[in-house]
Amino acid sequence: MVAPLYTTDSGLLFHAGKILVVTIGLPARGKTHISRSLERYLRWMGVKTQVVSLGDYRRKTLGGAQKLPADYFHLGEKSPETIALRKKVSDGCEQQIWDFFKTGQVVIYDANNGTREARQKLAERFHKKGIHVIMLESVCDNKEIIEANIRSVKISSPDYRGWDSDKAVQDYYTRIRDHEEYYDPVEEKDWPYIRIFNVGERIMVNNIKGYLQSRIVFFLMNIHNTPRTIYFARSGQSLIEHSYKADSDLSPPGWEYAERLKDFVLERRAKNLAGRGVEMGGKGDSGLMIWTSTRRRAHHTAWPFLQAAAASTSSMVTPAGSHLPTPGNATPINLNPSSIPTLTSLTINTAVPHLTEAPMLPSKPRIKVIEKPQMSEINPGIWDGLTPDQARKYYPQDWERFVRDPYAFRAPRAESYHDLSVRLEPTLIELEREKQDLLIIGHASVIRCLLAYLIGLPASEIPAIEVARGDLLEVTPASYGVHCRAYHFWDGPGRVRDEGDFGKNKHEGVGGEGIGSGEGKGDGEKAQAVVESMGGIVSEERIKGEGLMGLGGMMGGISLSTLPVEQQDSDSSSAGISRLGVDMGVGGIGEQKDANNFYENYAEDTKGKRKVDSFFVGNNLGRMEVPGSGVMRTREPEAGLSELLS
Amino acid sequence: MADSETLHSDSNSRGIAADLARAADALETMQASGELAPVVTVAPASPNVPPALFGAGGPMLKRFDESTVASRKGSTAPSPPPSVKGIGKKVAKPDYSEQKIVVAMVGLPARGKSYLSNKLMIYLRWLEYDVKVFNVGQLRRTKARQKAQKLGVKENHNAEFFSHSNAQATQSRDSLAEESLEMLIKWLKEGGNVGIHDATNSTKSRRAKIEARLAKEKGMILIFLESLCDDPAVIAANVELKVSQGDPDYKDMSPDEARKDFLRRINEYEKVYETITEPHLSYLRIKNVGEEVTMSRINGYLSSRIAFYLMNLHIRPRNIFFSRHGESQYNVEGKIGGDSLLSLRGMQYAKALPALITDNIGEKPLTVWTSTLKRTIQTAQYLPYTKLTWKSLDELDAGVCDGMTYEEIEQAYPDDYANRDEDKFNYRYRGGESYRDVVVRLEPVIMELERQENILIIGHQAILRCLYAYFHHLPQADLPYIKIPLHTVIKLTPKAYGCDEERYTLPINAVDTHRPKPKAAKQPNVHPTTQRIYYVEEEVKTSA
Repeated sequence: MVAPLYTTDSGLLFHAGKILVVTIGLPARGKTHISRSLERYLRWMGVKTQVVSLGDYRRKTLGGAQKLPADYFHLGEKSPETIALRKKVSDGCEQQIWDFFKTGQVVIYDANNGTREARQKLAERFHKKGIHVIMLESVCDNKEIIEANIRSVKISSPDYRGWDSDKAVQDYYTRIRDHEEYYDPVEEKDWPYIRIFNVGERIMVNNIKGYLQSRIVFFLMNIHNTPRTIYFARSGQSLIEHSYKADSDLSPPGWEYAERLKDFVLERRAKNLAGRGVEMGGKGDSGLMIWTSTRRRAHHTAWPFLQAAAASTSSMVTPAGSHLPTPGNATPINLNPSSIPTLTSLTINTAVPHLTEAPMLPSKPRIKVIEKPQMSEINPGIWDGLTPDQARKYYPQDWERFVRDPYAFRAPRAESYHDLSVRLEPTLIELEREKQDLLIIGHASVIRCLLAYLIGLPASEIPAIEVARGDLLEVTPASYGVHCRAYHFWDGPGRVRDEGDFGKNKHEGVGGEGIGSGEGKGDGEKAQAVVESMGGIVSEERIKGEGLMGLGGMMGGISLSTLPVEQQDSDSSSAGISRLGVDMGVGGIGEQKDANNFYENYAEDTKGKRKVDSFFVGNNLGRMEVPGSGVMRTREPEAGLSELLS
Repeated sequence: MADSETLHSDSNSRGIAADLARAADALETMQASGELAPVVTVAPASPNVPPALFGAGGPMLKRFDESTVASRKGSTAPSPPPSVKGIGKKVAKPDYSEQKIVVAMVGLPARGKSYLSNKLMIYLRWLEYDVKVFNVGQLRRTKARQKAQKLGVKENHNAEFFSHSNAQATQSRDSLAEESLEMLIKWLKEGGNVGIHDATNSTKSRRAKIEARLAKEKGMILIFLESLCDDPAVIAANVELKVSQGDPDYKDMSPDEARKDFLRRINEYEKVYETITEPHLSYLRIKNVGEEVTMSRINGYLSSRIAFYLMNLHIRPRNIFFSRHGESQYNVEGKIGGDSLLSLRGMQYAKALPALITDNIGEKPLTVWTSTLKRTIQTAQYLPYTKLTWKSLDELDAGVCDGMTYEEIEQAYPDDYANRDEDKFNYRYRGGESYRDVVVRLEPVIMELERQENILIIGHQAILRCLYAYFHHLPQADLPYIKIPLHTVIKLTPKAYGCDEERYTLPINAVDTHRPKPKAAKQPNVHPTTQRIYYVEEEVKTSA
């Protein structure tokens, strides 16, 4: 349950009653893909939804296909035993549906349901009990889609464990052929129906009424199974990490991060495209779409991508550089910003600077950047700019509720993660819709919500999902779920926080102490430390090593590292800053790391991270039940990191 | 609600403080009894709230602006984007230039084609797509009027004219439809996004012609939108509307004659009407306005948005009420934003509101929507209806300027302030929102409003301006200047070509929070209309 606008006593939403979606289609027509996607979306909306899969049920109760009688999948003459067996399976499945309807709202019955008579009877049984029945047919006449589906999914199912793959494919085709003979496409108009052709290429809807139903149609109109990759990365470090309102710009390491991100993404993407047999910028590469929020730190992080694009159009090439560009070795390009038509949207064919260490790096990726106002980070309301200790001190009751439930709690004038999920809903549809590779440069909270949707995590886990700056998350939609990997590409300042550090910092450091706090060493001493560091102790090297940790350190860092010494009025500025630091109780002074936006990251920092990298979420292959989520997943080898290291 | 009634009866004898305490209590009670959304919170009174660190006018923000400039020197980006400073900036319109869609209507007369095209236009324009309806009827009437004025030739557009056995008229109508399509294509090429061809397009051959014509244009998507209606009551109402609302085609006829003639016209079309069955066309078929929808070959995000929107429309009679919250303490102090409680006068308004609403709506069901801010929840507290809180209805976020008065902003940031006045719709407060951002976040609210019946929204000035602009189809530039005074209920009744409006102002004084556009010679014109337009706006070339 993620984003319902409201809850009801009955647990049913949108006045829609209970709905049974009966899938219809020959084998390997993408029914399961559609069913699972729909289930994920409806659950996200807060609708209690369950896919009941006949195939899964059969495999669970009877085992793989090799244990079945030979005539099980042949619809012709059958032995009485087989008929009894089949009936047992379908009855058992139907019982599961009835059971779920005791508390649930939508069941998607994932089975072939190919004969008109059988599905009519099924529909009538449920209709009599006041359940709305919708027929959802998946029609697919594109041989490539079918073949790809068989090869990628079907023959790896437990039914074909230990088979030779070509033999398995042949066997599967035989299974389909037998079904074809008895298959009745949905032409009857007795029930509302949705017919999807070639997974979203075309859709026909008949007699669909009601809001939830129209949401289902809208969703189904926007899904597809074109191969693509969705990348997620956080924006670079900004000057004032822990303030929402300040909407601050990138810090110097933030700019470096942006450069590094661009190189790394283009490199990863070239590899991924090569894996699909496509050359970046070549035929079959539909280009890279970048979404950012309208926050400065986010869309400025996308700037190097545009820059690369713009640079190439003016036929300038940056020389080969290292993977960690520093001010020293990057050759400036004289590019007039006004020659770039608009910051918000730009599509340019570009030759990316050729990097020596990435020979795969290709010629012409097309890049487009779009700023989306819905993608701003979670709004901390009046807790903006506070340290956790300050929040706890000034808003004790709120704090208690916040710690108890970081998902549903809404600080005064703030957004809860729930609010954020609701806000992001339109973005989800656009995400489903997008066929190009997509890079989302976002904020931790936004990435958490989107990942939770893609992976199908329950709401309560959202706030604790680990989204580290410097990791590129790569999500690849697969037939029955998504592959998710994390690549670590940046260790510079702004990656923030040692392992499990937040609680530690709170006690160790000055960051945790608020205005007028009498604990610890007192503000005066801290201020002193700042003054000292401003006085020349902070070297440029130290700043590079540790970054702009905290406000006081940051201010010092900037002035020292970037301004010529003679321009500094170090006395007055340091005094000014330290005064501010003390008077206004700004967290994270001097040695201390910036507290970040604790409202956004508190759960991740304190409640144990939930890692989402390196696993495949699906339903069909060696399963592992995740408690409470109803999501099956299997772990894959830690491909991400090892691949990167090799 | 029993509690709040007791509150009502004896509260006059108490002071403001008691009122507010009670209001807070009432909120707690509502929350405890589950009348509020599951995740509402009420801030406990905080004796010493810390200062806003990065608010405008404070020393921090300016300091950071200075440091930002320095920070860029560490950037390897050869030319970083312009520096960030001040309290906000103007933002550009989203780029929809790649969207080129032709929506060709299909349907018999009086089947709600113009209604649908009009609604669609308003919705998409509100989302900032460039949309235009090309109505063949308007073109025909305009040309006939020009002919009559210039050449003194009067054409008779009675049912005869619409008969398919009348070869000359048929040809004349065909060429009108083609001309209208050409105008549409030209307009799309000049930068439009969605052109709606509002004509009957009732035969396969006509649709094939449109298809063939658009095949010659690159990147234009064609969707047919068929409006079917077999509900006699709806058709009758549409016919009545046609003959009673002053259609120039019938201006010389009695209503009776007009009705007969119009029915004959429908009859002429029915003779040759072919519903869409062409399997290769992209189409949407809408039966009885949203009752049933068929979609075929609908691709593309915008197309699916259009389909979703049309699926949610209905034409059942209903009312939408807008009211701002009662006067708040911040209103009295002239501050923007915040989450203050109601003033004493605001509380009076909250108490007077139920009677006004109940008088108006009678026994009919009503749902009240509020934002999550205290002033709207307080205003709604005595209303005996189901209440829902929406985060999306929260007031425009003024970012760093939250809690300041306009004078303070003007003093601290004179340039920025002038900037906002210049283009209020596009101005985004630093760390906050622009009107455009609000429009984007209100889209799901609009969708929900379309499918709901009687709704009362207790909202905020900027939010109600956006919603009001949608229902009255007011242009973007004028939107931030719409007058939505305090202590006034606005009642909208959706009609075929707009909304009827009534305003009820309660005799409880309140401050005026409306800021007219400074230095504008002409104040924005915000007069809604429900009148159908019978002629095309611009001059049309007469073909002899």
